[in-house]
Amino acid sequence: MKITGLETLVFGVENLGDCAQYLKDYGLIAVREDAQGGRYEALDGTAVELALASDPALPQAMPNGCLLRKTVLAVADAATLDAIAAELGKDREVKRLADGSLESVDDMGFTLGFALTQRRTLSRAGEISNLPGSPFQRPANHLGVDANVGQIYASTLSHIVYFVPDVAKAEAFYVERLGFRCVDRFTGVGPFLQPGGSLEHHSHFLIGAPAFMKGVEHFTFHFTGPNEVMQNGARFIEKGYQPFWGPGRHQLGSNWFWYFNSPFACHMEMDADMDLHDNAWTAREVPMGADASQAFLLGYREKWMPGPGTSENGDYA
Amino acid sequence: MQTAHLPLCHESALAEGQALGFDPDSRGQDTLILLRHQGLLHAWANVCPHQGVPMAWRRHAHLNAAGTHVQCHAHGALFDRASGLCVQGPCLGQHLWRRDVVVDTHGQVHWLRNAAHA
Repeated sequence: MKITGLETLVFGVENLGDCAQYLKDYGLIAVREDAQGGRYEALDGTAVELALASDPALPQAMPNGCLLRKTVLAVADAATLDAIAAELGKDREVKRLADGSLESVDDMGFTLGFALTQRRTLSRAGEISNLPGSPFQRPANHLGVDANVGQIYASTLSHIVYFVPDVAKAEAFYVERLGFRCVDRFTGVGPFLQPGGSLEHHSHFLIGAPAFMKGVEHFTFHFTGPNEVMQNGARFIEKGYQPFWGPGRHQLGSNWFWYFNSPFACHMEMDADMDLHDNAWTAREVPMGADASQAFLLGYREKWMPGPGTSENGDYA
Repeated sequence: MQTAHLPLCHESALAEGQALGFDPDSRGQDTLILLRHQGLLHAWANVCPHQGVPMAWRRHAHLNAAGTHVQCHAHGALFDRASGLCVQGPCLGQHLWRRDVVVDTHGQVHWLRNAAHA
């Protein structure tokens, strides 16, 4: 099954204006916005959609405060859509919506959509570090950073992390029914799952949790590299948003991360530079812990330079 | 145990149903939440009992969208404004840590910080 990743996440919220401003400050572009909701896209067209929590067109809310109403997965072709409809139709309802997409539910109760991807291919490069002799360098006169650059925009929807009450059952659904595979695993926590049509380390990570926590831990879009994550994250904090964890670099997946609290009852992350894995990869399994979670961890600082007025302990006072 | 009186704001800064964050120790991070509920001021440590982290999603955004509860915007936990009890979320049944505040004759709200809060 050629599921290629995430296409759209749909949230039902009461404070549309706050949520919309958060997404725009994060780096998404409003392509539709009115008193009923909106669509906020990354540069490739993947998106978060907002609707009023009371909107009867939304799939039913989970009973525990989770605001996510639907996770739309991207598929490459109509044959995959048909295959998914046939597979899931064996034991659950599969609706075909007016836009041609499918709607069903996973084994934990998360509403899923499946849609032909509308992702636009991006022509931008990821961030490139110059190193003498390296075959991969920025062309002459291309600057590595612009402190005065305008709004930084997210490139593409990356991954979502669910709290699930039964990891084995949840994982089996994605692996056995939808063709995902486990790329790495935190022992006793859950798997990083890669869909069959992508080489990215994960589009889903599952965390075992009590049933009353069922919902979303975080979701994130990719930025072009660590420079965008840190520059955009620092600006986000300076606008008053609350960081949770980062910036740092994970070990499993190698993705740079910076997590923030959000009005979506979960974290929203900025991430970049995730590893790619193909079938030659053997999944690792490691115990969860601070050392295993990241290669290093930094924190936000106000800008500073040495000079008059410096305290006797310098920057690290 | 020595108690410090740290000024937070004038009590008129908090209308009914409103919450504000404060950084009385100048840490660059709000560590205390002050709110008014049914006329009374309540102060809570800006620390979620689940993972020990700050709870707003944006500065001063400490309540849920409906304004009925303190909310941790890490995972959505909801807390009763007057008792601090978590009624939904990962720390269900646990409580926020109360901070003692006093309003002086001029209407100034002070946090009574003792050594246990240092």
